[in-house]
Amino acid sequence: MNVVGVEHQDKIVCQNISKVFIQKGNQRVHVLEDINLSVKENEFVVILGPGQSGKSTLLRIIAGLETPTSGKAILDGVEVAGPGPDRGLVFQSYMLFPWKTVMGNVELGPKLRGIRKKERREIASHYINLVGLDGFENHYPHQLSGGMKQRVGIARAYANNPELMLLDEPFGQLDAQTRYFMEKETARIWEAEKRTVLFVTNNIDEAIYLGARIISLQGKLPGRMHRVYEVDLPRPREHTDMKFLELRHEITEASELTL
Amino acid sequence: MAKPIRSIANEVQMQVKEKRPFTILTVLKNRWFLYTVSITAFFLLWDTVAYRRVFGGGLARPQEVITQLGKMMVDTMAGKSLMGHVWASTHRILIGFSLASIVAVPLGLMMALNRYVNAFVRPVFDLLKPMPPIAWISIAILWFGIGEESKVFIIVVGTFVPCLLNAFNGVRLIEPQLYDVVRMLGGNRRDEIIQVCFPAAFPAIFAGLQISLSIAWTCVLAAELVSSRSGLGFIIIQGMTLSKPAQIIGGMLLIAVAAWGMSLLVSGLEKFLCPWKREVMSQ
Repeated sequence: MNVVGVEHQDKIVCQNISKVFIQKGNQRVHVLEDINLSVKENEFVVILGPGQSGKSTLLRIIAGLETPTSGKAILDGVEVAGPGPDRGLVFQSYMLFPWKTVMGNVELGPKLRGIRKKERREIASHYINLVGLDGFENHYPHQLSGGMKQRVGIARAYANNPELMLLDEPFGQLDAQTRYFMEKETARIWEAEKRTVLFVTNNIDEAIYLGARIISLQGKLPGRMHRVYEVDLPRPREHTDMKFLELRHEITEASELTL
Repeated sequence: MAKPIRSIANEVQMQVKEKRPFTILTVLKNRWFLYTVSITAFFLLWDTVAYRRVFGGGLARPQEVITQLGKMMVDTMAGKSLMGHVWASTHRILIGFSLASIVAVPLGLMMALNRYVNAFVRPVFDLLKPMPPIAWISIAILWFGIGEESKVFIIVVGTFVPCLLNAFNGVRLIEPQLYDVVRMLGGNRRDEIIQVCFPAAFPAIFAGLQISLSIAWTCVLAAELVSSRSGLGFIIIQGMTLSKPAQIIGGMLLIAVAAWGMSLLVSGLEKFLCPWKREVMSQ
């Protein structure tokens, strides 16, 4: 068990988080068990685990959309009590508003926080440019491809200038080509505007390509922390790099043991 | 020929514009050509059946219907010209339909947003829901007499149910994660309702309005057939009493045209209010 000490400069700390869902007929589903982790400011941490390992639930607890059954998530020294604009969440299925244009989607965060139109348009334009969608401000989501939709999702989360970015398998619905390309884009965007990032994925390559640190979960419920890998590779990373392949081999071997 | 209009790295949007060679087959496959064929065939069949007196004297030929309609435009029946009767029915529908939608749509939204309102309204609504609106005609005449009120009442009863149900389901079927988005961006319950509930329910509300509109025509006809001195139902009943099939069929055609026109108005309003949907449909 890798328990990381609670230090004050840690952006986010999870202390002994467990989660039990009670389904219909009083069936108890134990999803997370004793999760302890911490993320430093501007660190890119990937949570790696197969389907049904509780990783999305962990992200939703940190987002404040679920409450843990026991334990707590602490953001900047304050316990997370509910959702809020200090965390930006990017959804696996995009969750764009179909009745809003790209601009309307991206500027929603600043709008809800009462920022004046001119200013929030500037903020939104900046992030639309950052994700490479300039010229598409007036398009509706259904006019965009999957990769472009998720760019909007990322820009929308960024536009609120959150302390912490939470990405929940953001490229899970994309084809392999686009996915690979979006990983590169994510690395580029993160380099351009550093944030503390918690990135959930089930893809080992994606985890190594993006993460400064990878926290793997065990492959069955309840989700428990399995191992922590430091990824000490220079960016931009190459999938064919020897060290990349060695780490990939190591993680694959280790995760097969737990499946 | 396809040419890329814009390329974002590996994601390319293509604009395709092709000119097909002009042949007889393209004409035959053209949908406007097929529309014309379809309509012409319908009228030819109608005229043949009427001419050969398949239903005895019960079916008027198309030109007889048109002549009859022209005659009714000039002559008055029960103190009203043809347009006066069309307006009488339309007027009843406009009042009944507006009353019902102004009450039913907000009520449906409130039932979906607040479970206490839902728990309070639902039992009574579920009890009254399965009653066919036509079943209310007799009691409506007892209550309101044979004037305008009873007809408007029937329309309100008939259109209330689909208006309410569609508004309710429109909110209920919203993807719950969209609320999460608003919450994560710093919004509260009010923002959820304004940013998510209303726009997401719009298409369903308009579907309900369209259904209501066609029910409204059924209701007004039924009410007018039972007791009326004006309206398209009266014209049809008069045609039956006077044994004038041309007048009956003319009345039926006018109903179709009027109902079609009103439903065009509603879908026009929907396209104006829901531009994102217009974009979807035009693709």
